[in-house]
Amino acid sequence: MFGNKLEISLYRYNPEEDKFPYMKKYIIDKPERDIMVLDLLNLLKEEDQSISYRRSCREGVCGSDGMNINGKNGLACITPISEVIKRNKIELRPLPGLPVIRDLVVDMTEFYSQYEKIKPFLQNETTAPEQERLQSPEDRDKLDGLYECILCACCSTSCPSFWWNPDKFVGPAALLQAYRFLVDSRDLKTQERLESLSDPFSVYRCHGIMNCVNVCPKGLNPNKAIGEIKSMLHKNKKDIIVSDGA
Amino acid sequence: MKGSILWNIQRYSALFIFAYFIYIVSFFIISDEINFSILSNFFFSYTFKVSTTFVFLMIVAHSYVGLWTVGTDYLTERTLGFLSKSLAKRAGLLRNLYFIVFITLGIFYLMVILYIIWL
Repeated sequence: MFGNKLEISLYRYNPEEDKFPYMKKYIIDKPERDIMVLDLLNLLKEEDQSISYRRSCREGVCGSDGMNINGKNGLACITPISEVIKRNKIELRPLPGLPVIRDLVVDMTEFYSQYEKIKPFLQNETTAPEQERLQSPEDRDKLDGLYECILCACCSTSCPSFWWNPDKFVGPAALLQAYRFLVDSRDLKTQERLESLSDPFSVYRCHGIMNCVNVCPKGLNPNKAIGEIKSMLHKNKKDIIVSDGA
Repeated sequence: MKGSILWNIQRYSALFIFAYFIYIVSFFIISDEINFSILSNFFFSYTFKVSTTFVFLMIVAHSYVGLWTVGTDYLTERTLGFLSKSLAKRAGLLRNLYFIVFITLGIFYLMVILYIIWL
């Protein structure tokens, strides 16, 4: 239909002017070289200054520009249009499940409050050494695949359990970080951390559908981390039973 | 309640249901001949009655966890709010009604099964 044209369908919503959100179509010349979705948005922004979206580092490090690109969450700055384009069309929507502030900008309060819940910092009340708390290379290796999360919220907002219970289910991003601190040899609050996750919602609302793994722009595996947490909770319960019986 | 208890109920009950399925299928595979007396002996055996009672208890427990999860996922203020605001205001009531209905049905179903098996 549009040989050298590109049709972009963009979610638009300005609460001060619009009663309901709507999809607006933009047709532009197809870029000669493969560009990122963020560059495409920048081109649109030159045409229509009212378009709103978050962006910062433009290299997949800050996690600001997470959005739904042709039905799949991803970071606009590291997603080439060639990977997502379908019949010369691209549909851009905000991350699903979170309240929309304006256009592609969502309110991340619920996402961050879950992150806050898991206490994402080392808890160690022993006297700090002069320089730093050391780890063996083996213990450090356990953090690989966990610390790289940039909190872009692509995973949590692709998870139906998080859509339905964002106030109770911690969500894949925060659970990945919860596991990062659970396996950290320098953290001494493992028992308390597990206790805070032991209710039927925080972890157990994950039914393993793996949308989080499918969309993570950093190639991480929150589902595996959640499985490990469940395993730790199970072992933890056994330890309590054994110690009670002793 | 601990999430691990519900999680274990669902997983272990699924294993028992699967084992029961294997038990029934293996009877039909192993039996050289299927006739009324063989079937009667099998269905009236104590092993069959006990295992069937147990597996139906497991089915009730398994479905309780599943249906409770469905209720707490979809019958909430947030989820019903997508349909209408007035429904969302009654989410708690609707959810409790839903729980009462499926618990009552579960108890009724179990009683009927126990009656058929043992009386």
